[in-house]
Amino acid sequence: MNAATTDKSPWRRHAGFLITVAFLAALPFILAVVEGLPFGSLLANDSSTAKFLQGLLIEVFILAVFAISYDLVLGVTGLLSFGHGMFFAFGSYLTGVLLKTFGWPLWAVLIGAVVAGLFNALLFAVVLPRVKGITFALVTLGIASVFDILIRTQEMNPYTGSDVGLQGIPRPDFLNPVDDRLRFYYVTLAFAILIYLLYKRFVDSPTGRVCIATRENENRALNIGFNTFYFKLAALILAGVTASLAGMFNTLYKPLVSPEIAGLGFTVEGLLMLLIGGIGTLSGAMIGAAILRLMEYYLSRWFGEGAAFILGAIYILIVMFLPYGIVGTWRLRRLDIAAGRQRLLSYFTGRQKETPDKGKL
Amino acid sequence: MQNLLQSYRKNRTLIITLVILLLLLLLAIQGMSTRDWVVTLLRGLAVGSITFLVAAGLSIILGLLDVLNLAHGTLFMIGAYVGWSMYVRPDTVVDISTPFLLVLAGFLLMPLWLPLLSRLKLSRGTMRVWPWIALVAGLALLAVALTRYPISIWSATVYQDSPIVWTQYFEAGTVAENVTPATFPSALGALLTWGALLIGSMLVGLAAVGFAVARRGATAQAGRPATRPLIWFVVLVIVGVALYVVNTPLSGFLLGLGSNALFVLAIVVATLVGAGLGGLMESTLIRPLYERAIYQILLTLGLGFIGVEMVRTIWGRTGFTMPKPELFSSTGDGCPADSIAGWLQYHCSTIIIDIGGEPARIRTYNELFVIAVGIFVLIVVWLLLQRTRLGMIIRAGVQDSRMVEALGINVRRVFTLVFALGVGLAAFGGVIAAPANGLSDTMGATLLLSSLIALAIGGLTSFPGAAAGAVIVGLTQQFIIRYGQLGINLPFMEEPWKPSPPLVPASVILLMIVILLVLPQGLFGRSE
Repeated sequence: MNAATTDKSPWRRHAGFLITVAFLAALPFILAVVEGLPFGSLLANDSSTAKFLQGLLIEVFILAVFAISYDLVLGVTGLLSFGHGMFFAFGSYLTGVLLKTFGWPLWAVLIGAVVAGLFNALLFAVVLPRVKGITFALVTLGIASVFDILIRTQEMNPYTGSDVGLQGIPRPDFLNPVDDRLRFYYVTLAFAILIYLLYKRFVDSPTGRVCIATRENENRALNIGFNTFYFKLAALILAGVTASLAGMFNTLYKPLVSPEIAGLGFTVEGLLMLLIGGIGTLSGAMIGAAILRLMEYYLSRWFGEGAAFILGAIYILIVMFLPYGIVGTWRLRRLDIAAGRQRLLSYFTGRQKETPDKGKL
Repeated sequence: MQNLLQSYRKNRTLIITLVILLLLLLLAIQGMSTRDWVVTLLRGLAVGSITFLVAAGLSIILGLLDVLNLAHGTLFMIGAYVGWSMYVRPDTVVDISTPFLLVLAGFLLMPLWLPLLSRLKLSRGTMRVWPWIALVAGLALLAVALTRYPISIWSATVYQDSPIVWTQYFEAGTVAENVTPATFPSALGALLTWGALLIGSMLVGLAAVGFAVARRGATAQAGRPATRPLIWFVVLVIVGVALYVVNTPLSGFLLGLGSNALFVLAIVVATLVGAGLGGLMESTLIRPLYERAIYQILLTLGLGFIGVEMVRTIWGRTGFTMPKPELFSSTGDGCPADSIAGWLQYHCSTIIIDIGGEPARIRTYNELFVIAVGIFVLIVVWLLLQRTRLGMIIRAGVQDSRMVEALGINVRRVFTLVFALGVGLAAFGGVIAAPANGLSDTMGATLLLSSLIALAIGGLTSFPGAAAGAVIVGLTQQFIIRYGQLGINLPFMEEPWKPSPPLVPASVILLMIVILLVLPQGLFGRSE
């Protein structure tokens, strides 16, 4: 980074982020205006297309948090984990079971979800020092599959509802997406923004830098004197807790949990979000989640059965031709453009300086 | 003695693990009657053989190309479905072969375009634009021609015409009566459609070459144009048209064949289709990604999902069965047989043998034929790896593929060949597994998981490891299923504990995790 960019005022440096936040905060009202609804009706929580779209956006925020947590594990730390969906599913199921079967209050469920995330991360950490690369992927896939199998067994039916999934979960009064969707919208939005800021801080911190170093070259990081295991563990724990919390919001939003989120398919969906946005870019993961969710919704509305086919084709095309995703490619190109502009400027300025020199000579 | 002790110390963990596994097996055998364990052992070996057919290809591909092909399960499934099509509806395969050959012929002309393009002097702007136009036009032509092409095929959505009903026709021997041959309404229509197919595929091929030229610039050596593609083109077009001309008699002949001959044909066709798909996948999609390791995994994962969707659109979402060939399906006179000779005489579906004083039912296809095929493939692939030049290159490539390339061997071509071989093996496994286990859109994912587990247990890139892992996975599954029926007498429990069916895959996964924690490289894996 040269001096020109760091000299910018903080407002200008974070303009993109601030505009996005302001836009998302105003979006329910914008949607209402577009539909021609009075604000009173929006605040009174009348059912409308705008309310439906709010719901879609709430799902986007929840998935964005899931995607960013996957990005921390896969993109930033470089752990090829195929069991990340389990973190989300565990949080989801735990929230459902605690609310439905045990009738815990919301704050206790929150603590429970955090502890569950911690527990999951530690479960992965048990195998972390032993296996690497593809074997780690297989083991995490295995652990996630065991979880998937366990929640589907008949023995767990009273708690998890086996193949049907968990249904009829009571909604807490404070966070009720049916009675007051706008509040739920802002809570999930605030949650997503907080998580994004936290992750940004984490990746920019010395700990996060070591995580990136681990991804780039683990042996070198070890030789410098970092015990990479602890850094990988820190990333896993942070990601596990976040994904678990995202799972909690998922259960609160649509008070049913389907066993599909525990399968490999959901992890692959997370991968797709990362790929669309750009692996290892954090903000890309969230953008990817938004694009994927909205695309899925509209594609299945327009094409029905064929939507999966089109999604698959998009997936392949992105892997082949846009490997760094939207944000990643944009960052690369932006640097190119900036460098090109500077070269151009220095070419011109240099020539302007050169010509008088030559004239003197 | 000294050496023995040394090698023991070196492999202590491995030896102890193997001993524990063996003890577990003995323990499992101990709890059953002789008949039960023999039958369970056979079933486990059968599951192991099918798993091995997939795991073997996966392991060789992973070893040589460093690609974990997560689409392998889907390709296994595609093999099974293609095999079913050849087995039950050979007329459909004959119908499809004409447009397929014509499209292939169009693509085969690709080497001719490069010298042609290098002679044309086009501006950069034109070079950028025209391939896109050619691509769109070619794809549109292909889409129009292929959707109009008359193919007599089952329907995935209408029950009366679904694969399930066709399977029933096959079992009743009335497929030939129910087939309505599809032909062009007029000769002009046929010529137009064929022309569209040829021109469309040529345009797409031209576009592909155009893209490459636009990116890298034309670097063709001046010289006489290659005549070999042209000869192939003519041959394929003639064969394609000839197949259309003899379509009706050929379909009639194939439909009149016995199920044994059809089964052999199904195996051949499915293996070839699988190998072709594998070669295509490697040369077009995976080859550009050798530098980006994770992306290959992501790509194959996506391809696997697309393949499942494709199978769902063509064959439908509901599963169906594939009838067993005559040799393994008779239930009439002299059946169930009391020995293998009796089976050969009467072609029984089951043999009942006295084992340990109890009669044991052994299915000839599921438990004898499948195991025999597994052992046969094990020996053939082992011979291929150990005794041929290709095998030597593969083994060397698994060790260090750069060194092999440095020695002047075209590793790229070997890569394509090995990928095609591995996928062909998986498709072959699909046809073998289909009559035993039926066809469904989840068969690929299930088998991929168990063969991945087998690989991880055996050591990712080791061929004997793949075999051992597959057998361990198969045996564990089947013994736990059997114990789920019998119940285990555990101490401190009143009633015998019965593991519920979902615990079968879970137990195999747990076994894998435990083995990997003890031996991170797997049983026979190379430590890095």
